[in-house]
Amino acid sequence: MPELTYREAVRDTLVQAMRADEDVFIMGEDIAEMGGSMGVTQGLLDEFGPERVRNTPISEMALAGAAIGAAMQGMRPIAEIMYEDFMTLAAEQVVNQAAKHRYMSGGQITVPVVFRTQGGAGWSPGAQHAQQLEAWFVHIPGLKVVFASTPEDVRGLLWSAIYDDNPVVFFEHRTLYPIKGEVPAEIAPIPIGKARVHREGEDVTVIATGRLVHESLRAAEEAESEGISVEVVDPRTLQPLDEETLVASVKKTNRAVVAHEAVTRMGFGAEVAAVLQYQAFDWLDAPIERVGAKFTPLPFAPVMENFVIPHAADVLAAIKRTVGK
Amino acid sequence: MPTEVILPRLGQGMETGTIVRWLKAEGDAVAKGDPLFELDTDKVTQEVEAEASGILLRIAIAEGEVPVGKTVAFIGSEGEDVPDLTDVPQAEPPNPPSNSLLQAESEPHSEAEPVGEAAPSGASNGRIKASPLARRLARERGIELSAIAGTGPEGRVVAEDVERAETRVPELASNSLLLSRAVPPGEVERVPLTNIRKTIARRLTEAWQIPVFQLQASADMTHANALVAKLRERDPDVRVTVTDLLTKVSAQALMRHREVNAEFTEDAILLHPSANVGIAVAAPQGLVVPVIRGAERLSLTEIAAVRADLVGRARENKLRADDLEGGTFTISNLGMYAVESFTAVLNPPQAAIVAVGATVDSVVPVAGELAVRPMLTLTATFDHRAVDGAPAAAFLQTLKESLEDPGLAL
Repeated sequence: MPELTYREAVRDTLVQAMRADEDVFIMGEDIAEMGGSMGVTQGLLDEFGPERVRNTPISEMALAGAAIGAAMQGMRPIAEIMYEDFMTLAAEQVVNQAAKHRYMSGGQITVPVVFRTQGGAGWSPGAQHAQQLEAWFVHIPGLKVVFASTPEDVRGLLWSAIYDDNPVVFFEHRTLYPIKGEVPAEIAPIPIGKARVHREGEDVTVIATGRLVHESLRAAEEAESEGISVEVVDPRTLQPLDEETLVASVKKTNRAVVAHEAVTRMGFGAEVAAVLQYQAFDWLDAPIERVGAKFTPLPFAPVMENFVIPHAADVLAAIKRTVGK
Repeated sequence: MPTEVILPRLGQGMETGTIVRWLKAEGDAVAKGDPLFELDTDKVTQEVEAEASGILLRIAIAEGEVPVGKTVAFIGSEGEDVPDLTDVPQAEPPNPPSNSLLQAESEPHSEAEPVGEAAPSGASNGRIKASPLARRLARERGIELSAIAGTGPEGRVVAEDVERAETRVPELASNSLLLSRAVPPGEVERVPLTNIRKTIARRLTEAWQIPVFQLQASADMTHANALVAKLRERDPDVRVTVTDLLTKVSAQALMRHREVNAEFTEDAILLHPSANVGIAVAAPQGLVVPVIRGAERLSLTEIAAVRADLVGRARENKLRADDLEGGTFTISNLGMYAVESFTAVLNPPQAAIVAVGATVDSVVPVAGELAVRPMLTLTATFDHRAVDGAPAAAFLQTLKESLEDPGLAL
């Protein structure tokens, strides 16, 4: 199987979708000559030209709106929002327009648009360029929300997102772009709404997203050496949520830790905990633990940033609390 | 309300821990995270940190073995009332099932206690703290939650406690209410492994990898028995036994044959400077080997005193980790049973162990005539990586001669 970085996997999916389908195109700020601020779309202008690799003005609201309009006209646009933080500027279009038109038109209109965006701390970007805002969008009926954590997953899920007839907010993580992983030779679409069990275990289930999938796998290794068997599950799609897989895992292990880089309070993990406590109440042997960032804007100073965001050690500590160690 | 300091579970399956010493005194200010006391388990000695800040108001248990979940101290603010300990809901985890089984064989029901006496540790103001899973299991199995001692955080009853309560039921068979729950005849009874049983299994399996050989010799115990009898007469308070004499003469023999008082390692054989003699004790919880340190420097009566203390505490499951460490040689004595000789498995990393059978009156030739003498058979097992046959034989010969003529050990 070939090996790709997470960044290459995203690029490869875009390229293959654009080669396969004239209706697929990309738009965003500095995505053409510059190849995107994270280098994801490098080389696409040369192959596909400026009609299908469209630089836009610096207005997230305008570019999101234009993508939605194109989608309503039958195209499959992929809009890149340079930083997740800037999704707040596109929010009117994403939340009030993209999410609503299929419903309001009685199904006559579909909006097959993908909003690709990236976020995540760990490289000292400060308070306005590294937030994890998935909780904003999972709260909106009419949107699908994907957060892939490996090259294989990002490739298979982005393909499915492009060909989904509903608007998809597609989160990528800044610090995952350089990680490498094996991918199938041919793109293998991964269904939206299916979780992935990364590691099987008996004592605790850790449900983690994005960067925290990797931190949790490290914590699980450490826990293993202390005799605690940990199952690590990545929902991959946050909306719709694969409740069946998560609940089945927790019914097996009787304990759960939910881990994400976003601020813990009111986060995506709170919803997961609520789902688990309701559907697996009689199987729980310990309170569900949550791991996430502290409730503060992200500090610029590396030491303080490091203190605010969660790491493998935080996941391990939560694992141990659930087993009473 | 002061915060209770609960004996923590440091590993899965840990049932009890031994408080070695307190690092803070009553009245000391403690901050959350400060080391509070030293705790020994079958695996480690660890400092336990305070979970709350305040004044250490009272140390309820100063030292000794404590079940997981039991309140051992209180932290609160200056002048705050400390609840009377009798009011404190105590976690009293029941004995591990295998323990109960061993006890049941010798003294049926000695450990059985009426269900009603088990302290409902999860209870506070009538509300029992239990995990949802524990509640469901208890409901399905018809077990009263109030009868179960919780060992989870804050004394919460967790699933493991319910499982344990269920496996414990057979020992309560004398209670007519519970007769129906006893193991039906003809069914295989499942005795979960305790920590100590797992440790025994692991260590003996390791020992089995070592290339060993055995040597056997019999000693005429006429003079040894006379010496033991004389010492008992002189000092009835300290009951010297044959095991004590064996310990003493073994220690002397080990000092003369230091290649047996050894340990094989990857790149060297370590010769120990002192004879730390381990005594295998059949404790209720399983086999333990407490160590009599520097036995070559102790008199017979001193050895007897140390041995009595160690064996007594072993039977009460009150040994500390350091009682079990540092042995250089082991004596395993089954002489109290009708066993004439047997071979013992090495106790690594020690290079030798001697298995002692019963003293049996036997017909032996003495100066060309048949005589009846009390004979004791010693079977020593050696780590052949560390010791060869000839030096091992010399050691065993010294041991035999010292028993036959205890004066030679001087």
